[in-house]
Parts: sequence; C-alpha cells; structure tokens
Amino acid sequence: MQELINQYFDVDFMVDHFDEVLEGFWFTIQLSVVSGVLALIWGLILAQLRQIPGKAALPVRFATIAYIDVFRGVPLLIMILLISGSVPLLDFLPEWLRLPQWFGKPDNFWFGVFAITITYGAYMAEVYRSGIESVPRGQMEAARSLGMSHRQAMRFVIVPQAVRKVFAPLLNDFIALMKDTTLVSAIALSEVALVGRDLQSQFLNSSGLILGAIMFLVVTLPLARLVDRLIAREQGRFTRGAPRVEAL
Amino acid sequence: MSVGTTTGGSMVSLQGVCKRFGHLEVLRGVDLEIKRGEVVCVLGPSGSGKSTLLRCVNLLEPPEEGDIHLEERSICKGSGSGEQGWELDFVRQRVGIVFQQFNLFPHKSALENVTLAQEKVLGRPGAEARQKGTELLQRVGLGDKLDEYPERLSGGQQQRVAIARALAMDPHVMLFDEVTSALDPELVKEVLDVMRELAEEGMTMICVTHEIGFAREVADRVVFMDEGLVVEEGPPSQVIDNPRQERTKKFLGLVLER
Repeated sequence: MQELINQYFDVDFMVDHFDEVLEGFWFTIQLSVVSGVLALIWGLILAQLRQIPGKAALPVRFATIAYIDVFRGVPLLIMILLISGSVPLLDFLPEWLRLPQWFGKPDNFWFGVFAITITYGAYMAEVYRSGIESVPRGQMEAARSLGMSHRQAMRFVIVPQAVRKVFAPLLNDFIALMKDTTLVSAIALSEVALVGRDLQSQFLNSSGLILGAIMFLVVTLPLARLVDRLIAREQGRFTRGAPRVEAL
Repeated sequence: MSVGTTTGGSMVSLQGVCKRFGHLEVLRGVDLEIKRGEVVCVLGPSGSGKSTLLRCVNLLEPPEEGDIHLEERSICKGSGSGEQGWELDFVRQRVGIVFQQFNLFPHKSALENVTLAQEKVLGRPGAEARQKGTELLQRVGLGDKLDEYPERLSGGQQQRVAIARALAMDPHVMLFDEVTSALDPELVKEVLDVMRELAEEGMTMICVTHEIGFAREVADRVVFMDEGLVVEEGPPSQVIDNPRQERTKKFLGLVLER
C-alpha cells in the first residue's frame, strides 16, 4: 500500500516539483486556448463553406466535405508528426512560416497549433453544421416569406437558434482538444505530459504525472459540469412546464 | 417593368402551372384567377397539390412550367431559368403567408416576431414597428401577450401571432396553408374568427383548408383540387352543396361524414 502511495501519490514529491509541472500545464493551457480559438473560427468557416447554396459553389462544397471527412479520420498524432517534421524542410516557404517564432513561442508550439486547428476545425465544422441543420426548415421559409434575404434569415433567425444549440457540444470538443494537446509531447514540447514523463523516468516516480492529471481535472471537471447544465437548460427550453426530474 | 394597373382587378393569376418533385408531378397545369378582395378556399384530399399551389404563388416552390402573375406582373418569367427570372422582392413585399406549423421564431417574443421583418426588410424605425406590432397583436386579441415567447403560447395564440406577423408587412394578398390543421379543436375557432374578420375587411385571401364550414360561410369562391389539377370551382353553394364532379362529391362525402 505504501508502495502504491509512494509511486502515485507522493505528496512531498508533488510539492517539490509543483512549479515544474505547473509550468508545463501553463504551456498546455496556452496551446489549448490558441488552437481552441483558431479551431472554433476555422470550423465556422468550414461549416459556412459547406452551406453555400447554388450550383456554382458545388466544387467548394465538395472540397469542404472531403476536407472534413479526411481530417476527422486521420489521427492527430500523425498530423503533428507530419507537420513538424516536414514544414521546416519546405524551402520554398518563407522563413516566418517555415520556422514560426510568433509571440516568442517556439516553432514546435505553432506546428502543434496548426495540427490541432486543422483536425479540430473539421470536428467543430460538423458541430456547427448539426446546429444549423437542427433549426427546422420552416424557420428559413418563414423568414424568407417575410422578405428577408438568405443572409438576413441566417443572421437574425437561423444562426441565433443554432448557436444556442451548439454551445454545449462545442465546449465538449474543447475539452477533448485540451486533453489531446498532450500529444505534442511527441515533438518534445515541454507541456505537462512531457514534464511528468521526464520526472517519471528521472525519479522512477509517477506522482508528477498524477499531479498533471489533477491539474487537468481542476479545469476539465468544471467545464464538464457546465456542459451538462447547458444541455439540461437547452432541453428545459422545450419542456418547460412539464414536471422535471431533478438530478441527484 | 409593366405597370401593375388595377384594371379588371386581377390579383393573382396562374396559367398552366406545373411543379414536379423528382418524378412526382404535384401540379399538372393549374389555371386560376383570383380577383382583388376575393376570398378563395382551396379544398382537396391530401397530396392533391393545394399547399404546393400556395407555395408557388409566393415562390417558396417556384413552378417549372407556366406563369404566375401578381397584380398583372409576371413573377417567374421563363420558368426553369433559375432565380434571375423570379421577382422575389416584388412577391414577398405583397404576399403574406401563414403556415400550418406557425413557424414563429422561438428566440423572439410575440412582439419581436412581428417587428423583426418590419425593421430588417422594410427599414421601419423600431418605435414605429413596435407600435404597428402592438396594434396588430391587439387586433388578433393578444394585446396582453406582447412579451411572451412562443413556447408559452397555445397553438391558437401562436397562429394568431403568425397572422399578425404576416400582416405587419402590409401584404396585398394573404395565403393560409391549412392554418388550423395543427390546432386542438377548441382552438380552431379563435383563428378562424381572425381570418373571417380579415375577409370582411376586404383582404384578398387564398386559404387551403379542411374547414368546410368556414369555406361555405366566408369564401367567395371554392376551388376543388385533385391530383394536381383544378377539378371544379365556383361559389360555395355550388361546389360544396351541389358539386357536379364525381371526385368532388366523393371527397365532400368523406369529409362531411365526420
């Protein structure tokens, strides 16, 4: 028993290495927020490209669908390795893109951001789409019959309803994204998982990794509760007045 | 642009209108003439093309063949030529439609439902739109529900908001697409009363309905459709009470039996 505690929950070890692990976790947060925001934007762009009406936009729709299908199906780790190991070798690219050092962050940080944005943009595009498509057809027809243009109908009628519906699932995707940022440890970026792993191999003690996991939980558990509440509220919108079974 | 003079008073005129969904021919050459101020009720079994006919008139489902004139102006020149030939703005400024499923905007209050398009489409200032919206909601008996959201309103109340919403755009013609079919029986009357009042005020109305009593009482003319064609049309006393066509007799027999 003591052995288990020493291996996984060595409080002294955690205290000694708290700063290192926290530094790694701070890196994780930065990586998550930057790629999370970019993926949210990129996903919305993809979702709209996929919805452009008309025959002329068929190639655009087709290309977007292909993109979404491909990058939802390719593992993020492969994307990370592919980008970080190839982009610096592409001599025709300008140096600011080949070896990005923006905002004082190392190039591997940005390669991680690219890979996560490319992959999660595809996931989030599908979430947006499901939101837009879940708004009943009659809403668009009512708006158009009142003289609104397609764009006005989207802006004042469809998107406001869609956003309410997708907020919770988008947040869910963000939690998944945050956890997946640990994959950039594969390209030697000293985020929380790599810091924990280094401590583990150096001291043969896993408490550093456990500490990192705890830090994740401190952030992800409240977010997960928030998602649940949002979903419950969203469902409540349409069953208001009906007796509600309170969760324990 | 042809000038829409009111000679003869033709409001809506359909000539040889055809509409297909895939291989399904929903409308197979419909001719119909509706005069200004006229109330026309369209009856027929489900699948007869009545709703599609209405949706053609406001170009929610543009016809593939034939032509439709609104106030003597062609609204779908060169059918099949795509959107260029459709007079969307012209049509939607003049034609209001009320749907079977109400289709109120659930994220907007009753009053906001009525003011949104006034502000965004007609460019009316907020105060003016609200005043007009309030008057209309009072007129349909919902003066005390201005700030309620649709989910808090009964079906009949929602449908009355939908009527007010359409009227707020000052339409010249109102289309009613089975507007009482989704309502509980006890709520039907409050909606029909609003429509009856509207008819008395001289609004041009095309009503697809299963309410034979309403048609008999309010309609100037009744049109019976079946399988994408107009089978019989005339005053209610003729089409409803003394139908000439076998199909009309059969349908009315089934409906009035209930």
